[in-house]
Amino acid sequence: MKKWIVILCLLLVPALASAGDRTLFVYNWTEYMPDEVLTAFEEKTGINVVYSTYDSNESMYAKVKLTQGKGYDVVFPSTYFVHKMRKEGLLSPIDHASLANFKHLDPVLLDKPYDPGNTYSIPYVWGSTALAFNRDQVAPEKMQSWKDLWRPEFKNRLVMNDDVREVLGVGLIINGFSVNDTDPDHIRMAYESIRSLMPNIRVFSGDSPKQPLLNLEAWAGMVWNGEAYMAAQDFPAIQYAYPEEGAIFWVDSMVIPKEARNKKEALAFIDFILEPENALLVCEYIGYAPANRTAVGMMPEELKNNPTIFPDPEDVKKGEFQTDVGDAILVYERYWERLKTGM
Amino acid sequence: MKRWIGISWVSTVFAFLYGPLLVLMVFSFNQARYTSEWQGFSLTWYASLLENQYLLDAFVNSLTVAFVSSLAATAMGTLGAFAIAWYRFAGKKLFFGLVYSVMMSPDIVMGISLLMLFVTAGIHPGFFTLLVAHITFCLPFVIVLVHARIAGFDPAVVDAARDLGAREHEVFLKIVFPMILPAVLAGWLLSFTLSLDDVIISFFVTGPGFEILPLKIYSMVKLGVTPEVNALCTILFVLTLAAVLVAHFLIKEKKK
Amino acid sequence: MNEKQGFKFFAVFLNMTWFALFVLAPGLMVVGISFLTRDISTFFAWPLTLDHYRELVDPVYAKVLKNSLVYSFNTTLLCLGIGYPFAWFLSRAPGHRRPLLLMMVIIPFWTSSLIRTYALVILMKANGIINTVLLAAGLVSEPVSMLYTDAAVYVGLVYSLLPFMILPLYAVLEKMDIRLMEAARDLGAGSFQVFIHVVLPLSLPGVMAGCIMVFLPAMGLFYIPDLLGGAKTMLVGNFIKNQFLTAGNWPFGSAASVFLLLLMVVMLGIYFFISTRFNRSQES
Repeated sequence: MKKWIVILCLLLVPALASAGDRTLFVYNWTEYMPDEVLTAFEEKTGINVVYSTYDSNESMYAKVKLTQGKGYDVVFPSTYFVHKMRKEGLLSPIDHASLANFKHLDPVLLDKPYDPGNTYSIPYVWGSTALAFNRDQVAPEKMQSWKDLWRPEFKNRLVMNDDVREVLGVGLIINGFSVNDTDPDHIRMAYESIRSLMPNIRVFSGDSPKQPLLNLEAWAGMVWNGEAYMAAQDFPAIQYAYPEEGAIFWVDSMVIPKEARNKKEALAFIDFILEPENALLVCEYIGYAPANRTAVGMMPEELKNNPTIFPDPEDVKKGEFQTDVGDAILVYERYWERLKTGM
Repeated sequence: MKRWIGISWVSTVFAFLYGPLLVLMVFSFNQARYTSEWQGFSLTWYASLLENQYLLDAFVNSLTVAFVSSLAATAMGTLGAFAIAWYRFAGKKLFFGLVYSVMMSPDIVMGISLLMLFVTAGIHPGFFTLLVAHITFCLPFVIVLVHARIAGFDPAVVDAARDLGAREHEVFLKIVFPMILPAVLAGWLLSFTLSLDDVIISFFVTGPGFEILPLKIYSMVKLGVTPEVNALCTILFVLTLAAVLVAHFLIKEKKK
Repeated sequence: MNEKQGFKFFAVFLNMTWFALFVLAPGLMVVGISFLTRDISTFFAWPLTLDHYRELVDPVYAKVLKNSLVYSFNTTLLCLGIGYPFAWFLSRAPGHRRPLLLMMVIIPFWTSSLIRTYALVILMKANGIINTVLLAAGLVSEPVSMLYTDAAVYVGLVYSLLPFMILPLYAVLEKMDIRLMEAARDLGAGSFQVFIHVVLPLSLPGVMAGCIMVFLPAMGLFYIPDLLGGAKTMLVGNFIKNQFLTAGNWPFGSAASVFLLLLMVVMLGIYFFISTRFNRSQES
């Protein structure tokens, strides 16, 4: 019996011990931040960082919502989840005055429709979803537009992200609508377009769209720029292209849940990440573009000029950032089910 | 002739089970970061693994949860199998229904509903809730497995022992338990396996500060699973295999 | 209370309490939610409604259910076909080797299923190991398309569920008395007859347990079919997950899982009804 009490104490002690120290609970993807940055923050501030992970925005959102975000101090939702969480009052406003390094952020990425004025979110890294192809099989001029996906020679040769918003988003774009359209008629038209694309789709990739390209199972498709960049590191024939109609852009942001217990520490952390040196470390480690203009300026020329990571400002202007579509998501989901049951 | 059919069938199935792991082990020495093309031998991933404290911590947490929850589930599930096989009690049909319902509940439903339960009860998610959830989804497998073994069991043996004056716990420990041991062992093995590999339920019921390995691995998809994980799996696999073989030969020596 | 009753009380009470707290209570929550209305900011809200059950009556969902049932059923059959002889040979191995062999079955499964599935991808992809070998041996002139086919899905499903079939079968076959078979043989029965009339009937509880332990989890599984099959078919698992996470439609997702549960109860009920009938008629 005594033994059990000892064991129980051992299990409880870590929880109690950390209560005294200053601790920060970070909620992010695995390896989405280099360990050295976390350690540097701990050393500089004496704040202990506890890092937990999630595997999709959707599940992170469900969990934060159910627990009211209690227990997490900094979370990294992508574009439209910021919108959604903000609308539902899950986020705490961020005081820009207390962020000394706010000035380093790239203005191109600020004040977007998903969070006007960046009251609730600070951009972390950003990227795009556009076209990628294998030059060994596909000539670059055949991958210039989203419409090129419909070319008959790609029969059973495309990879698409396994994401309802992005796939139907392409359908919306080629019909001339916004990727954030909520009109059921427009979504139906998008669905009909994508249905005619189904024979070309070999795989919907839910994990890593670069893999089917690297595996030679797919010749082309819709890929995140970071994935294309990584793939090209090991396999230079993989090329990324921004379609004429415009790519879909996304930003992963840092937010503070409303119920966070350590808001002061959270602000210190966000400010630390905004320091150009740290933003640079992040970029080198994960291969996505930092939202930090000063950090980009410090990069080696070849990286700075890599169009896969840093698109032409013209391409950014043509593209769109996703926002939450509210109840229309039910319409999207309904058509998604039809696509995937072949009806 | 028959012997050869047996040996070749068993070896073929083992080859099927171990083939992919062999691939995984070989590729943990691959230099390439992102592709699964062979780009030269390297020990880089083993070196960086040893520095990755977060991954190692998560791994230790996973083992702890798997070990404790599988033991608890096996003990409780074995009792449950007896409850079903030997006794009549109110709500037995409901009990059966619940056992099967856990086995087929989509993970997402179980994860979310358990988290709602804990939140409603004011319990903070963490190690404890994780343990409860793991015991819960392992239990039915132990119950069904052990029950199948008891089902063909001659109750006359037990009655005879009782008539000879054996007390209930003696009947259980000396007669029944040795007979069902293979099923109990199998049930424990399955529980340990299930617990070690669960992602979705664990995601919902664990709290900040208690990270487990499968969650980390599934969350790596954003950047592509690193060869470090292959290295970790290789080490783990080789260690387990070695431990099992050593244990086997030690027991054999003793018997001689 | 004597010891026997004490033991019974303990065994029954412990399990019943656990299941009531951690299965029945959350289960009832799910049932409750399935009758509520979807709400964008709280997931579910009043008023009560039957709409979600009505929505389920749609050929799209019938197709989703059919896809899952077909995968689960075929996987169960494949596992039984591969696992039964395997478990049989295992249970006939020399006694001191059996625990080792049993451990050998399970050890591969202590490696993350995601990582194991990726290993299957490395084997089956167009420029993968199998294709490289086939091409080098001159057996094929261009890579065989294996990945993102139904066959790949079955390889993955069988690979991940096989031990759930082997272990219960082994647990039952291991205790089978060899003398019964010898007696049958002495009475002039051939191997096939011994199997049909002695071995199979005695191992039925294990077959049943194994089939349940493969079929039911296979119904909820979707990760492996998605990774190996290309995610072009929607399964019950995907559908329910999407309702909860993407669409935020908890009541509809709950209704779907309640329906699934009822379907399973009916199926198992029919099975038990027939099997008890069958046993009785055999006895008389």
